Amino acid sequence: MFFELIRRNSRRSRKENGLFFAMLLIAIIAFYIILSLSRQDIMLFLREMESDAVNRLLSLIPVFYVMTLVILFFLIYFASKYQLERRRHEFGMYLMMGMTRNRLFLLLLAEDVGSSLVALLIGLPAGVLLSEVISLVTARLAGLGIIGHQFTLSLQAVLLTAAGFFAIKFAAFLILSAKISRQEIGSLLAERPEEIPVQLSPGAYGLAFFGGLFCLGTAYYLAVRGTAWREIPVMGLTLLLGLSGTFLVFYGLRFVFELIIRSKRGDRRLYVFNMRQLQENVIRRSGAMAVSSLLILGALCCFGAGASMAAYYGQSEEHVLDYTFMPEETEVQEENPEQEAWKVLDTLNDKGLSGEFSQLFEMKIGHIRTTEEYEDVFTMDEIMDRVRSLPDSEDKDVLLNNLEYADYPHLIALSSYNQLLSAAGLPRLELGEKEGAVYMDPEFVTDGRIKIMDEILAERPKTELDGDPVWLTGDLQTTAVVTDQSITLSFALILPDETFAHYTRNQYDVYINGILKSSGSGSASLLERISEMNHRLDDTGLNYESYLQNMGRQLFYIAAASYLTIYLAIIFIIVANTVIGVQFLMNQQKANRRYKTLIRLGAVYETLRGSADKQINWYFGIPVLAAAVSSLFGVRALFSGLLSSRTQGSVKELMVISAAMILVLCVVEYIYMTAVKRSSSRYLLTLMEPEREE
Amino acid sequence: MKTILEIENLRKYYGKQGSQTKALDGITLQVMEGEFLGIMGSSGSGKSTLLNCIATVIQPDSGRIRMKGREIQSLKGKKLAQYRGREIGYLFQNFELIDNLTGRENIMLPMSLHNISDQESRERIEKLASYFEITEVLEKFPAQMSGGQKQRIAAARALIMNPGIILADEPTGALDSRNGKILMKKLAGLNQDENATILMVTHDTNAASYCKRILFIQDGEIFHELRRDVPEETQQDFYKRILKVMAQLGGGSANVL
Repeated sequence: MFFELIRRNSRRSRKENGLFFAMLLIAIIAFYIILSLSRQDIMLFLREMESDAVNRLLSLIPVFYVMTLVILFFLIYFASKYQLERRRHEFGMYLMMGMTRNRLFLLLLAEDVGSSLVALLIGLPAGVLLSEVISLVTARLAGLGIIGHQFTLSLQAVLLTAAGFFAIKFAAFLILSAKISRQEIGSLLAERPEEIPVQLSPGAYGLAFFGGLFCLGTAYYLAVRGTAWREIPVMGLTLLLGLSGTFLVFYGLRFVFELIIRSKRGDRRLYVFNMRQLQENVIRRSGAMAVSSLLILGALCCFGAGASMAAYYGQSEEHVLDYTFMPEETEVQEENPEQEAWKVLDTLNDKGLSGEFSQLFEMKIGHIRTTEEYEDVFTMDEIMDRVRSLPDSEDKDVLLNNLEYADYPHLIALSSYNQLLSAAGLPRLELGEKEGAVYMDPEFVTDGRIKIMDEILAERPKTELDGDPVWLTGDLQTTAVVTDQSITLSFALILPDETFAHYTRNQYDVYINGILKSSGSGSASLLERISEMNHRLDDTGLNYESYLQNMGRQLFYIAAASYLTIYLAIIFIIVANTVIGVQFLMNQQKANRRYKTLIRLGAVYETLRGSADKQINWYFGIPVLAAAVSSLFGVRALFSGLLSSRTQGSVKELMVISAAMILVLCVVEYIYMTAVKRSSSRYLLTLMEPEREE
Repeated sequence: MKTILEIENLRKYYGKQGSQTKALDGITLQVMEGEFLGIMGSSGSGKSTLLNCIATVIQPDSGRIRMKGREIQSLKGKKLAQYRGREIGYLFQNFELIDNLTGRENIMLPMSLHNISDQESRERIEKLASYFEITEVLEKFPAQMSGGQKQRIAAARALIMNPGIILADEPTGALDSRNGKILMKKLAGLNQDENATILMVTHDTNAASYCKRILFIQDGEIFHELRRDVPEETQQDFYKRILKVMAQLGGGSANVL
């Protein structure tokens, strides 16, 4: 009988609190996925390449784990408290009928363990499955190929998930049941009247509301201007203003509702009733609403920032070269730099590897050696003046800064650069004797900067190179001269071969660039072929870099940014929405008398449902809207603070991506609201039914 | 005089065969326009069931209820809501005010439910408020009102839609005698001056003495009827007559007739 009671009770509570149960499931799934991150294909792969960064990322996971545990603890505590409160009367009855307090405690404990077990039994397999799917999908997207994929079940992750989940559930349970069991039977049986909070004068609430708006506005201003990032105290002030502003706005919201209700002359479709219900909820739970709104804001910022950073690093730069073989770092400069290149080619030939490449060509890059000076060897006053005359923008500042340092630029030989251009399928560059072209590494330019430079270069500006005039011409060149980072050039001059030879005095570095033959077997991805080639090249002792490093770094940023931010965003979203949803449903059940009165006054089910739906729209809408507004500033502030100067140029594009993410999140909210609406409709229907039968 | 409400052979049984309770067992009655009819009976006699059937809160097992000639059991959806909102005004024992709405908002609630423009209602609220002497509590919340004020707010709400009949379920049940008297005077006044039709269920003899006619129900059947001879009979005399019947109640019809 006892066990039957336990079974029935826990099934009933799962049914009645479907929303809460679903949240538990998602929490378990999220736990498992984050804990098994190290077993994901993409992480295993990256570990070989960027082991330091990956290990640092993985070492962060316990921190995330503990942080999530703490957040979820509060959520579970809060939701369970409501569930137990609702059953006070039932507990009182058990005690009246002679159940001992110990037995009641056991009953509740068994129920709790039972529902936790069910959650784990459903959640863990779902987590494992989802983790595998994510692993496969990300690996596929990254081009890792899925042939090598093995099903991995991280036992450690399973155990930690279960342990963490049980720990917080049990802790919340102990605190709550201790509170319940200390109470008198009489007070358990009696309906507890809802305590009415002390009311201040309406002016105080108005003041709180406008004060809150002012705080928020100041915080937005500080954050977006980037002032907040300069000093820690200012940052603290910004956060403090933002937090207190949000709380004050929600606290003062009752004032706004009062205004809305008073100003509205007509009252149709229960408009005033809806507003009063909302006002009451706002009065009773303004703190929780503010916290929910802040959590949604956190989620939006995480989502927005994570997605746009991932998108930024994931932008596939036009990739032409697969390999670059670098000159040996020797003390003695070779008489003829070409010999270095021959050595590389000979080695590749000896090992039978040159056949794997469709192209191998030289890239000659050197310094100006016609003078002993290292400063002001190259001047381009005309260009600088033109840039200075432009209206202020981030691109202008960055360009000016970069150009100022370009007084002793690297030189690139035209013939080798043209080879690169034809490999990339681009038109060759034609230069006259006294002409040069400007090269910048793709990572130093944005569309805005390219446009500025192209406009200036179209005027064929005159510059001076070691006292001789050089006219710059053509478009700005941005096709990467090496495959990754063996040399990075923020500004270099491309010169005709004779001029190049003259200025470098025939002493320059030769990089051998290689492009792999397009795959013969077909199925193997570029990434796999490069990996395989790397293994073979490692035996040759050649100094090389491959596109894999470049790609690996991108992949790492994408993976790190997207995994962690999306994980956090999901946790925040779950917590915030569950708090809002559970609160609404609880308040609705507390207000059941009012709904019954409405039914007696002639309200039909459709009217009540419409009214409840409208309340849900508002109840979710207010915190979500507040969060969405704040997040526009928040994400923008993250960009101005966190992204390096070179990415600042594309803030606008990133903002668009973030806005899209925010939209996606709004869809998530919509789904959540629909779920709450369904639950509320079901409840209202139960109010309609028994009245008719009695 | 026109008949407003006709009830014919109304039956409502609770429970299964064998252990059945006959809440209503073939009740037939009529309410005329402008009548103030009281229904009395001990608890469990079926008087609340009767009122709930008229209010369409409960579906009777058999019999007919006709309001202004229209059968109400067949009403569904919008028409049913219209009926509840416009044809009847319901006054509850425990007021059933919504505690987070002000007095005015509570009174407006039926109009809000039925999407009625509020221009005319504004004037009507003012009139009702001054009649029931609740003008000064219109902007207050129920928690800030006395019991009497709450019930008078509830009465104004029952009347706001100008219903054909007011159904009152023990309206003085939760009031002290002073407030009970005030309310009954107001209701009787409405009946006298505005020709409002009122059907009231009560077991408060004093409240019942304001009625023009009283039906006594026992075990689901009407077993006695009293009529006040207006204007010859004073309220005090009528009160005594009711008390006499009440004293015999419980002994069954044999003791009365």
